[in-house]
Amino acid sequence: MISYIIRRIGQSIVVLFVVSFLCFGIFQFLGDPVLTLAGRYATQEQQELVRRSLGLDKPFYVQYAIFIRNALHGNFGLSYTSQVPVMRMILERFPASFELALVAMFIALTLGITLGVVSSLRPRSPLSRAIMAGSLLGISLPTFLVGILLILIFSVWLRVLPPFGRGEVVRIVGRWRSGLLALDGLRHLILPAITLGLYQLAVLLRLTRGGMLEALAEDYTRTAWAKGLPQRAVIFKHALRNVLIPVVTMAGLQMGELIGFSIVTESIFQWPGMGNLLLTAIYESDHPIIVAYVMLMAGLILFINLAVDILYGILNPKIRYD
Amino acid sequence: MKGRVAWILIGLLVAILGSASILGMAKDTLVVAVMAPPRTMNPHGSDADANLQIMANIFDGLLQRDADGNLLPALATSWERVDALTWRFHLRQGVKFHNGNDFTWEDVKFSLERLKEPYPVSEFLAFGAAIAEVRPVDGDPWTIDIVTTEPVPWFVQNLHQIFIMDKESTETRSIGEIGEYPIGTGPYKFVEWVKGSYLKLEANEDYWGGPPPIKYVVFKPITESSTRVAALISGEVDLIQDVPVELFDMVKSSPNAEIITRPSRRSIWLGLRNSPGFPGSDVRVRKAIYMAINEDEIIEKVMMGHAFPCSQIPDPPTVGYDASIERLPYDPEEAKRLLAEAGYPDGFTIKLTGPNDRYVQDEQIAQAIATQLAKVGIRVELDVKPKAVYFPELDEHGLDFYLLGWFDGSYDFGRSFTKLLHTVDPERGYGGLNGASYSDPVLDKLLEASSSIVDPTLRADALRLLNRVAMQEKIAVIPLHYQEDTYALYKPSNVQFRPRPDGWIVCKDISFGG
Repeated sequence: MISYIIRRIGQSIVVLFVVSFLCFGIFQFLGDPVLTLAGRYATQEQQELVRRSLGLDKPFYVQYAIFIRNALHGNFGLSYTSQVPVMRMILERFPASFELALVAMFIALTLGITLGVVSSLRPRSPLSRAIMAGSLLGISLPTFLVGILLILIFSVWLRVLPPFGRGEVVRIVGRWRSGLLALDGLRHLILPAITLGLYQLAVLLRLTRGGMLEALAEDYTRTAWAKGLPQRAVIFKHALRNVLIPVVTMAGLQMGELIGFSIVTESIFQWPGMGNLLLTAIYESDHPIIVAYVMLMAGLILFINLAVDILYGILNPKIRYD
Repeated sequence: MKGRVAWILIGLLVAILGSASILGMAKDTLVVAVMAPPRTMNPHGSDADANLQIMANIFDGLLQRDADGNLLPALATSWERVDALTWRFHLRQGVKFHNGNDFTWEDVKFSLERLKEPYPVSEFLAFGAAIAEVRPVDGDPWTIDIVTTEPVPWFVQNLHQIFIMDKESTETRSIGEIGEYPIGTGPYKFVEWVKGSYLKLEANEDYWGGPPPIKYVVFKPITESSTRVAALISGEVDLIQDVPVELFDMVKSSPNAEIITRPSRRSIWLGLRNSPGFPGSDVRVRKAIYMAINEDEIIEKVMMGHAFPCSQIPDPPTVGYDASIERLPYDPEEAKRLLAEAGYPDGFTIKLTGPNDRYVQDEQIAQAIATQLAKVGIRVELDVKPKAVYFPELDEHGLDFYLLGWFDGSYDFGRSFTKLLHTVDPERGYGGLNGASYSDPVLDKLLEASSSIVDPTLRADALRLLNRVAMQEKIAVIPLHYQEDTYALYKPSNVQFRPRPDGWIVCKDISFGG
């Protein structure tokens, strides 16, 4: 087990290096930050001056080596446009993205499992069919459309929920502000969290339903029915409990994605999270932010994967890592 | 069963949260939704209008512009051009920065010299480089001369966007701090900036021009245009910038929203290579392309009526604008004849490059032009791409035919010309955005002749002549249209707002009516 973990960490480091090289390489060719930073009327000479002060006149491999050296010291550089350490900028935005992902995952898990169980009990009933049709919509509707539709219905027509932003937030520590502790903050969370969580909801729903259909047909469930156990005990204690392992694994894996890839949702709802920061950085060719963001997300997803794998081994002793 | 409970809970939650939504309170805060978040609070750190318009609320320049684009006094009470190189300013006395420091001539000197510092301080490098000296006249600290290194005829035209900073607090703070906490002399004081969410400002009760009518202003960036419109219609914000063409009718049909428009300063036009051997070197071909484009159709079908045909690059308030220039008529038959005469009876193939995320309907305009030119036999290969890729290409001057939009922040066609159409000359910083290496010695001479004229009226005449020759005789570019600036107001807030030519939201000129 220990040697497995060490090996996995080793692999993760290699992956991080490859990711850093790829994104560093790609973003070198996506827009020249000097053009905007020197101003619209700058002469070529002045542009070169700016290029030198950014260190962008150095050959690619030198720039990359400097980047790696600094990154190993935990320094991902300063943003070109705002002159603030990029890690600070990204982490400042982390609470917003994290809370959004948390609430989205909460919605996806509770509704997904509940509806999955409901639709598995009487798979042919109209309610089950409606739920399945709805889940198909959840999987196939683009996030963009869902967001806009929700805004249209709840903000423009019904006028019950705000269309954008985080609303009132409460400062917890330092720069960590939370919207979970204020009524206004919660109201602002609802639409974006549904938008972000809808796809995951549909996936978890289908996973639960599939697992439940299988589990309900198993011998041990039939034995439980035969013993005369109450319905509640059979469904929740015997069937659902076995189904939950893959569902929770899936949810864990998706958590990283919810934090890292909420860019579309964040941009529709003007959610001040990391995805929004990334988008602005891409528009402005602010490469240090882009690279640091991608690295951070790669690290986060690798970490979650590893954690899920290890937990899986602990939860299910039948699994052996060699 | 459990599902039902969950639904009931959610229903309750929505009901509770919804009921808490609208609380009546006295209106002392103006909420403005802008298209782009401010990049920095360093007033020289970005020359983008998205940033400058916010700086204009916190800082003052030596001069300012009113809602018609006229140049007015600000930190300077009057000014004159002493000779070709020297500009004299009389400074306003008794002005204080938001931190209590007095405004003096040393702040002016410091701020102007700061412009020369390249990254990370200034995006006004070229302007800063032209300043040789700032000095008081005859020991009077309230009268200063600014001396330029070469004649800069449009020098004062730019001073509304060169903001004056406090020397003491700027020197003692790091550039990161300066970029997050601004200290100016302007009508509004900085309160808080939560990046990506909002920027809050408070009225400066001691403002030299009198306290502004509205106590608090909150700028919220909402980049997604449909969300911005939704925020307005639902009353979350009082004023939004830029209503997209496709949502225009939706806003109009809402009883709570009011649309305000005015022609934008920005013109959209096509640049065309004229190097020897290229079809565009023949002015008949240039005319043919011009006459084959049906601008009325573009405005009606692509811009949905929200644009105004233009016959030149500059807009009316710009020095060098000439109202007598007219568009060539739309005449595909004549275009075909001209092409045949120029030796292209069967047309030719040409690549049209343009951005797809920069101007209103930019990609669709390019497509419409390709279709229209096909009718006279010119086969257009479309090459549209994101601006982050397009603009660096433009900077390499290797395009054949390209779509660009332009307005001059300093209201001077001479300056625009050096950047857009003057023969590429990196040494002097000329032709930086001349995407197709357009070059015409006659036009270059006309421009150079205009630069040495000190008298503003004579110089304006010279620039009008340059503009006429470029547009009527040489067809230096093919003009399409001016965009339209659109704003929407939330009616119940009763905001009194008049759009400016530069599109800036200057809050001291905004009030709640009634």
